[in-house]
Amino acid sequence: MKTARSKIIWVIMVATALLFIAPLIVMALTSFKHESEVLNPEAIIPRHWTMSNFRYVLSYPEEAPFVRWLLNSVFVSTTVTLLVLVFSSMAAYAITRLRVPGGGRMLGVIVVTMMLPAQLFLVPVYLILSWFHWLDTAAALIVPATAGGFGVFMMCAFMKAIPRSIEEAALIDGCSPVGVFLHVNLPLSAPAMATLGIFTFIASWNDFINPLVFIDSARNYTLPLGIALYQGSYSTEYALTLTTSLLATLPLIVMFMFFQRQIIESMSSTGLKD
Amino acid sequence: MTHRRSQNLVGYLFMLPYGAVFLTFIVLPFVVSLVLSFLEYDLTSRHPATFIGFRNFREALFEDRFFWKAVGATFQYVALMIPAQLVLAMLLALGMNAMTRGKQTVRALLFMPGLLSIAVTAILWQWFYNEEFGLFNHLLKLVHLPGVPWLSNLHVAMPSVVLMTLWWTVGGSAAVLLTGLQQIPAQITEAAALDGANGWRGFWMITLPMLKPVLLFMVVMNTIGGFQMFTQSLLLTTGGPEMATRGVVQLIYDTAFGDFRLGYGAAISWLLFIMIAGFSFLQFRIIRRFSE
Repeated sequence: MKTARSKIIWVIMVATALLFIAPLIVMALTSFKHESEVLNPEAIIPRHWTMSNFRYVLSYPEEAPFVRWLLNSVFVSTTVTLLVLVFSSMAAYAITRLRVPGGGRMLGVIVVTMMLPAQLFLVPVYLILSWFHWLDTAAALIVPATAGGFGVFMMCAFMKAIPRSIEEAALIDGCSPVGVFLHVNLPLSAPAMATLGIFTFIASWNDFINPLVFIDSARNYTLPLGIALYQGSYSTEYALTLTTSLLATLPLIVMFMFFQRQIIESMSSTGLKD
Repeated sequence: MTHRRSQNLVGYLFMLPYGAVFLTFIVLPFVVSLVLSFLEYDLTSRHPATFIGFRNFREALFEDRFFWKAVGATFQYVALMIPAQLVLAMLLALGMNAMTRGKQTVRALLFMPGLLSIAVTAILWQWFYNEEFGLFNHLLKLVHLPGVPWLSNLHVAMPSVVLMTLWWTVGGSAAVLLTGLQQIPAQITEAAALDGANGWRGFWMITLPMLKPVLLFMVVMNTIGGFQMFTQSLLLTTGGPEMATRGVVQLIYDTAFGDFRLGYGAAISWLLFIMIAGFSFLQFRIIRRFSE
C-alpha cells in the first residue's frame, strides 16, 4: 500500500519533470531540422538531420552576427561578475572588518535600496548614461549592473560569520589589513563568492531589458537581445532562431550541471530571481 | 590614534569602488527620477526641461486612458499568476517531498526552464503558440480539436502569457517550498499523524501553518515581480491584442523610449512604485491578521 502510493507519486513527478524539459528537448531537436520541416512538423524528431543551421549561425552572417553577440555576452557577463565580486568583497571587508565610520548605516541604506523595483531606475539610468556618452557601449551594460546591493549584503552576512581570531593571529604576525584581506578573508569567503559569482553571471547573461534600452547598434547586441530582435525581423526562420537559442542556453546548462546544488539553493534561499 | 586613522583611510579606499557605482547608479538615479517626474522632459525637442509640477501625475491618473488600461492588464496578470503559481508550486513541492528516490533530479529538471533567458523562452513559446504552424495547435489537430488563437484573442492572450511564465518560474518556487517542507521537523508531522491529523487534514493543520513564513515571503515577492511584468508580453504579443497584455512597465518603456517623454515615463514609474509598495504593505497586514 505504502509502496504503491510512493510508486504512483514517483511516476507522476517524473512525468511532470519530463514535461517541463520537453520544450528544451524540442528546441534542441529542432535546431537539427531543415526550415521546411519545422513549419510542417510531421514528427518531433528530425526526419533529415542537418547541421546547416549551426553552420550558418557560426559562419558570421552579416545580418545576424551571432558570434559577435556571443563574444559581447561573454565579455559583458564575465566583466560584470568579476567587478561585482571585487567591489562587494572589498566593501564588505571595509564594513565588517575595518569598521569604516558610517559603514553600518551605509549597509542599511544599501538593503533599503534593494527593495526598490528595477523599473524605477530604467529612465534615470538611461539619462545618466547619455550624460556620460556611454549609451550603445559595453560600459552601459557593465557599470550600472555592478551597483546592485545584493552582493555587498551577501558578502557582509558571510564575512560576519568568519571567526575573527584567524585574522587577529595574522595581524599579530605582522600582516597588514590589506594582506589579511587578500590572504585570509578572501580565501575563507570562497564559497560565498562562488555562489554570488554564479548568480551574477546568470543574471547578466540572461539580461534582456538593459541591452534593449541602452544598446542601439546591432554589433553591440548581447545574445538575448540579438536573438529576440533577429526573431522579430525574420519571424518565420524558427530553425535558425532556435539554434541560436540553444547555443545561448548551453553554457548555462553546462554550468548548471556542475553547480546545480549551489544554484538552486542560493536562489531558493534568497528568493531572488530575474 | 594614528593607527585608527590609517585604518579608516584603508577602509574608505576599500569602500570607494562600490561606493562610487552605488552613488552614481542607485542614489543619483533615484534623485534624477524624482526630479524628472515633475518635468516635461522631451528628448526630441530643442528645449527639453520645463518644470510642470504635478501635471505628469495628473495626466496619468485623470487623462490617460492607456495608463488605466495598463494598470488593468497588470492586475489581471497578477491575479492570474499569483494563485496559479502558488498552487502549482505547492503541488510540485509536496510531490517532490513525498518522493523517496530521484527527488534531487526532479527538482533540477523542474528548475531548468528558469535558466533560460526570457528572450529564449519567449521565442520558443511564440513558436509553440503560433496559430498556423505552432506546436500546440499541431498537437490539438492530432487529437481532432480545433486550434486555439493563443496570442490573438483578447481573452486568451493574457492567460497564454501567464502559462509561459509559469513554465519559466514555477520550478524555482517549488524549490523554495520544498526547502520549507524539509525544514518541518519530522517529529511534528509524526505526532500529528498519531493524533489522526494525516493526509489532507495534516496538510491544513500542520504543514500549511508551518510554511506560513515561506509562503508569505513568496507571495509578496511574486506580487512585486508580477507588477513588473514586461518582457514576456513585449516579446510574445508586443502588448497586444488591443493593448490587452500591455502592463505598466511596458507603458513606461513605450512612453520613455518610444515617445521619448522621459518625465512622463518617470512619473508613471513612481505611480507603479507606490502601487507596489501599497499592495505589499496590504498583503503583509492581511496575512499577519490571518496568521494570528
